[in-house]
Amino acid sequence: MDKLASLLHMTPAIFWMVVKVVIVFSAVMLLASVWTWVERRGSAMIQDRIGPNRAAIFGKIRIIGLAQLLADGIKFFFKEDLVPEEANKGLFWLAPFLAFVPALIGFAVIPFGKDFTSGGVTYHLSVLDPGNGMGLLYPLAIGGMAVYGVLLAAWSSNNKWSILGGMRASAAMVSYEIGMSLAVVTIFMTTGGYDPAEVIKAQGHLPWAWNIVHQPFGFIVFFTCMFAETNRLPFDFAEGESEIVAGFNTEYGSMKFSLLALAEYSHLMTASALVATLYFGGWQVPFVQNPAVMLSVASFLLKMLFFAWVFVWIRWTLPRFRYDQLMHLGWKVMLPLSMANLVFHAWRMSQGH
Amino acid sequence: MGVVVKKVDLGWLDRTYVWPVMKGMSITFQHFIRNLFTSTAKRYTIQYPEMKKEIPAGYRGLHELKRFEDGAIKCVACFMCQEACPARCISIEAEEFSDLNITQGFEEKRPARFSIDMLRCIYCGMCEEACPKDAIWLRNDYEVAAYDRLSMKFGKWDLMNTYAEADGKDRISQDTTPTVPRRTIVM
Repeated sequence: MDKLASLLHMTPAIFWMVVKVVIVFSAVMLLASVWTWVERRGSAMIQDRIGPNRAAIFGKIRIIGLAQLLADGIKFFFKEDLVPEEANKGLFWLAPFLAFVPALIGFAVIPFGKDFTSGGVTYHLSVLDPGNGMGLLYPLAIGGMAVYGVLLAAWSSNNKWSILGGMRASAAMVSYEIGMSLAVVTIFMTTGGYDPAEVIKAQGHLPWAWNIVHQPFGFIVFFTCMFAETNRLPFDFAEGESEIVAGFNTEYGSMKFSLLALAEYSHLMTASALVATLYFGGWQVPFVQNPAVMLSVASFLLKMLFFAWVFVWIRWTLPRFRYDQLMHLGWKVMLPLSMANLVFHAWRMSQGH
Repeated sequence: MGVVVKKVDLGWLDRTYVWPVMKGMSITFQHFIRNLFTSTAKRYTIQYPEMKKEIPAGYRGLHELKRFEDGAIKCVACFMCQEACPARCISIEAEEFSDLNITQGFEEKRPARFSIDMLRCIYCGMCEEACPKDAIWLRNDYEVAAYDRLSMKFGKWDLMNTYAEADGKDRISQDTTPTVPRRTIVM
């Protein structure tokens, strides 16, 4: 590794960083685009349909519809890039990036595998090493930023439906953020730190020691809020075909639309990675004290993909909420619930558990 | 008169919302698993170009001008179908033909041109009803499409040879409407 780094005129630390950044973000983007296919085929199976299975490479190789990804990508790339006459052009261009980037970089602090030592140097399998001082506050803060992408997209397209969608997204945002934060704070409290590496280490390798067992209500609140945060189906107020055309992305087309759609799926990946880290022991392999590095990565991936699938699964199970219902849920149910969760665990810790 | 709306009394378990969601998820998961292990050919969807729906009897699709066994056209150019057609898509030009022929037997009329504009046709089946000779039938074929308007004008030959294999006869490759009857009366 050192040799390769010196060949590229980089210090080993920087080289390792570059490798991590490239691997993590390309993996998340790849998974996000594959998940659009999983969503379409999965929903089709849930609804007794077949889904996209006809797109084929060179008209022959069908690979169970995976070529649809390529077809969609190429199609989006070559579509005319329309900007509405009355739109705020600068913000209209900026919005997809503002939606996409926070969704992706939230992943930066999450450890996706056990750290390992090679040649006296410890390598951490997360883009930002533990002890960076931001810890899990960072994905939460970045997640809070994600609504700006939606809001900007809505506002800049100068379309009434878009603005309605953006307004609903921001209204929903206010109502779920506090409950979610309190649920996470409970974990910080019981862990005694907010670094994801610490959170994972504190949970240990035994499944009944994971946070899901100790804080089931916190998990329910956090997971529900993740749906609101990722703008996905039971709570997808920013869009709504039946009410406000397509919502915040009504005026978007071509690559800009595809970026907005991809942002949703990268956000989904980040959210499921967060759930796996906070409540399901991150890269910990059940019943294995000191797992091999690849095993821990596989365990993390498995957990993350499972939760990503649950996101899809729930989307095709539940109908949409009205957005006052989410606000009712956020303020009157989830906030008290996570507050009670916090108080209960504080009391429990004061009793010396 | 007011309608009494019966309110569903939810138990505490249903009001938690988590349990009903899990029940719903189990239902969708059952569907998912069931579909995962059935091949796409056996699911409800009819994958059109490879699979086709069974057309019920009495379906009104593409027209066919019927022939006698010797290949002579049954139509006698009586213009009944043209009159009956509400969309005015049939146009017939009659001609006289005087060759003796075993099926028609005597001097008769027959269409020199018989064309149906398939873009105008509404597939109502009135021509079939009106025909005194049972010469025009509406078949089961529903794939009537073309790249231009002109090819949607079906002429006499087209109508006599529309998908002839469906009733067991081969499609004939050229106009065999005999100007001279094939089987003359053997004296």
